[in-house]
Amino acid sequence: MHMADALISPAVGGVMYAASAAAIAYSTAKIKNDTLCEKRVPVMGVAGALVFAGQMINFTIPATGSSGHIGGGMLLAGLIGGPAALLAISAVLIIQCLFFADGGLLALGCNVFNMGVVPCLLVYPLLFRRIAARWAGHRGIAAASIVSVVVSLQIGAFGVVIETLASGVTALPFAAFAALMQPIHLAIGVVEGIVTAAILCFVYGARPEIIESAGKGTRIGGGVPIKKVVAALAVVTIATGGLLALFASSYPDGLEWSIEGVTGAAELEAGGAAFEGAAAIQEATAFMPDYGFAGDDPPPVGTSVAGIAGGALTLLLAGGTGLIISRAKARKKQAA
Amino acid sequence: MSKIRRSIHEMYALERFSAGGTAIHGLHPAAKLFSAMFFIVTVVSFDRYSLLSLTPYAFYPAILMALSETPCGMLLRRFLIALPFCLFAGLSNLVFDRAPAFALGGLAVSFGALSLAALLLRAYLCVMAALILVATTRMGEITGQLRRLHAPAALVVMLELTYRYIGVLLDEAGSMRAAYLLRGGRRGIEMRHMGSFVGGLVVRSFDRAERVYAAMKCRGYDMRERRASPRALSARDLAFAASVAVPCALFRVFPIGAMASALAGG
Repeated sequence: MHMADALISPAVGGVMYAASAAAIAYSTAKIKNDTLCEKRVPVMGVAGALVFAGQMINFTIPATGSSGHIGGGMLLAGLIGGPAALLAISAVLIIQCLFFADGGLLALGCNVFNMGVVPCLLVYPLLFRRIAARWAGHRGIAAASIVSVVVSLQIGAFGVVIETLASGVTALPFAAFAALMQPIHLAIGVVEGIVTAAILCFVYGARPEIIESAGKGTRIGGGVPIKKVVAALAVVTIATGGLLALFASSYPDGLEWSIEGVTGAAELEAGGAAFEGAAAIQEATAFMPDYGFAGDDPPPVGTSVAGIAGGALTLLLAGGTGLIISRAKARKKQAA
Repeated sequence: MSKIRRSIHEMYALERFSAGGTAIHGLHPAAKLFSAMFFIVTVVSFDRYSLLSLTPYAFYPAILMALSETPCGMLLRRFLIALPFCLFAGLSNLVFDRAPAFALGGLAVSFGALSLAALLLRAYLCVMAALILVATTRMGEITGQLRRLHAPAALVVMLELTYRYIGVLLDEAGSMRAAYLLRGGRRGIEMRHMGSFVGGLVVRSFDRAERVYAAMKCRGYDMRERRASPRALSARDLAFAASVAVPCALFRVFPIGAMASALAGG
C-alpha cells in the first residue's frame, strides 16, 4: 500500500503532507499532556522497530498455500495508544522510504495518512475503543481488532485510489481501480485482523497493563478532541486544496486545454464517427500543456524519431558524464 | 531468516556509505535535503506524457552518484523494490489510453505507451534522489536537521530510537524464527502461532526498551535537547543548492527535450 512519488502530483502530495503534519502535531501535543510521557518514550521507540520486524516475519496462511505479513497500524495503536502509534508509524514510514525506497519522499504525506492517521486517529478511537469497551477481556479485544483492521484497510485502500486518480498519473478508470483495490484489501484485512487479534490477546494475557494503559492514554473525554481533530483536518485540507487550486489555475493547465480543445472542435461542423474520433484524440492530447508533439494532426515521422533519438542521447550523455567522473576519481585515487 | 538478515545488512550498508568523505558528504545536510526535495517536486510536477522533457533530469542522479562514489548497482536494486506498483499503474495506461500519440517508423505509439515510459523514468529519478540523500548523509545529520527545522521533538526521538532498535529487534526476531523452525516448522511460521510468536516478541522488547531507556537517563539523556548546529551554511553549500535548483527550474520552464523535438519537426 506504499505509494511512490511517481504516482502523485505535487498538489496532492502537498495537501496530504499538510493533513498528516496536522495529525502529527495533534498527536505530539496529546502525548506531551500525557503524564505517562516519560515512561512511554522507550516503549514508543521500540514499537516502531517492532512493526518493522513484524513486516519481515512471513507466516503461512492455512488452506491457501500463500504467505502474508502484518501491516501494523492497528497493532501499534492497541499496544501504545493512537497518538503514540501514529508517531511510531510515521517514523517507520520515513525509514522505509529513505532506506528501502518503499514509498516516496513526496508521497510520505499520503502514506502517513493512509496507513497511520486512518487506523490510529480515526478507526482506533472511534471503533476499536468502543467495541473493546463493550465486551471486557479477550473477546472484546479480538472482535475490535478484526473489525478495525478490516475497516482501516478499506479506508486506506480507498485513499490510495482517490490520491492516485486525483494526481492524474494513471488512465485507469475509477471504478476499475476501486474494484481491484478494495477486494484485495478486504482479504488482506481479514487475515491481518485475525493475526492482530491473536497478538493483542496474547499480550493482554501476559501483560494486561500494557493494553489497558494504551487505552487510558487516549481516553476520549466526551468525544470532543476527536471532533476537534477532524474539524482541524478538514479546515487544513480545504484551505490547502483551495490555495493550490488558485495557484494551479494561473497556469495553462489540463482543464483550460480541454476547454480550448472543446471550443476548437465545436467550430468544425463535422458530425459522426470522424468527429467523435477527433474529439477523443483531442481529449487525450488535452493533458499536455507545453508539449511539442501535442497537435491536431500527428506530426511527421521524422519529428518523433528525432525526438526519441534526442531523448535517448540525453540519457546516454547523463550516464556517460557519471561514468567519466567516477573514472576520473578512481584514477586520481590510484595516482595518490 | 535470510530475508531478515539481508534487510539488516541492506539498511546498515547505506549507513556505511553515508560515512564517506567525498565533497558531497561534506555538504551541509540542509543543502542536500533542500536539493533532493526541490528535484523531486520539479520532476513530479511534469504532466504524465512528458517523457522527453524529463530526460535532462537524469544528469542529477548520475553526477551525484559518481561524485559521492556510491555504487549504482546497490541503489538500482532498491529501485526495483519500488517498481511493481508503478508498473501496474503504468501498464494499465497501455490498456486504457490507446489513442495514437505519434508514429515511429510506421509503428503507432499510443499515449499509454508514452505515459508508461514517462512514469518509469519519473519513478527512477525520484527513488534515486531519495536514496542518494541517505547514502551521502548520516542519519544523525538528518534528524539533527529535522530538529533545527522545529519538527516535533517526539517524532525526531522516535525516528532515532526506531532506527537504532530495528537492528536489535530484527536480530531477535531472526533468532526466534530459527528456534521455531528447528522445532519442526517446515516453511514458515503458521498463522495460528503468530499470536504467541509476535506477542512474545512484544513483551520481551518492551521490557528491554525500559531497561535501555533507564540506562540512557542515567547518562543524562534528555529528549528535548537541541544539539548545536554543526556549522553555518557556507558558500559552497549555497552553490550546491543553486546548481541543483537553477537547472531544475530552467528545464521545468523551458522543457528542452520537447522544444527541440518541436523545432526539428517545425
